Amino acid sequence: MPVESHGDVELSESSTNARSRALNQFLAGVELKAFKIAQAALRHEDDALDAVQDAMLQLARAYSDKPAEEWKPLFYRILENRIRDMQRRRTVRGRVIAWLPFRGDDEDDEPDPIAQAPSTDPSPVKKLELEEAMGALEKALEELPRRQQQVFLLRTLEGLDVAETAVAMGCSEGSVKTHYFRALQALREQLGESYV
Amino acid sequence: MSAQGEQLTDFERRSRLVLEESVLRIDGRVRSRLNQARHAAVEAASARHRPMFWRFFTLVPTAGAAAAALLLATVLWHRVPDGESHTVVAELTDAHPGIDLDMLSDGEGLDLVQDGDGSGSFYEWAADQSEAGSNETDT
Repeated sequence: MPVESHGDVELSESSTNARSRALNQFLAGVELKAFKIAQAALRHEDDALDAVQDAMLQLARAYSDKPAEEWKPLFYRILENRIRDMQRRRTVRGRVIAWLPFRGDDEDDEPDPIAQAPSTDPSPVKKLELEEAMGALEKALEELPRRQQQVFLLRTLEGLDVAETAVAMGCSEGSVKTHYFRALQALREQLGESYV
Repeated sequence: MSAQGEQLTDFERRSRLVLEESVLRIDGRVRSRLNQARHAAVEAASARHRPMFWRFFTLVPTAGAAAAALLLATVLWHRVPDGESHTVVAELTDAHPGIDLDMLSDGEGLDLVQDGDGSGSFYEWAADQSEAGSNETDT
């Protein structure tokens, strides 16, 4: 029955295309925030990029069949696992390097003088205030325990609700609420009232 | 309910604004790499979702090339079969028992047939010798 099979072909092709478009749209919507979250955890741009890239690929390969509404918590769960793996590997590497008798200076760690140079662009006061607030918040976030940092970014930056955050973090909703409350307290203490 | 729909304190609102601003300032290099990663992921998902018939169609050129190669090999095999060449060799050696095909097939054999000094070929000499030998045995 060629006519029927032709119809099936078109149907499945269009459904595959629609799913690809939906996935593309979803990833485009989360990629920058995901990068920011990974960067806050790993404090390294390339590592953060690798983590987000791996999370995207794994979501596409393993969970693209799932309903699109489930993608966001799943994606952040995968990303969190990748971040944890990278941190663990980094800890092991750090221990090994600490035991080595000699280690040369890593040139990659040297700050880029061009990046460090102050910008000559005149910035409006508002922009300056925002930049200061950004720096202060990023510094305060670095000081937070990992779980608190994670819950704060997922709730505040990504806008996940308590249930979605619990899925993404692999913990209970009660635990999410506790971590979030503590994160807010710690950040308020560090940033002070002038931040608001 | 999303956190965006929840009641936020001033502190949370301010933090969100600051974080969103920092996301907007992510540089072009990072955006480009994320873009590439996204396309790779979407491609991986498309490949996974491609139906069986589509996977079959993508294999058609490869299978066609393999079939053509096999056909060509079969045709060439039958054009110069081993059996046929063996038959020709057998016919030649049956008709001329004294002929040495190994000698004929190499370069030296031809040199012997076409002797460069004009004094006659080796094979003529050899034939004379064998005739002389058979006459001696007859007498």
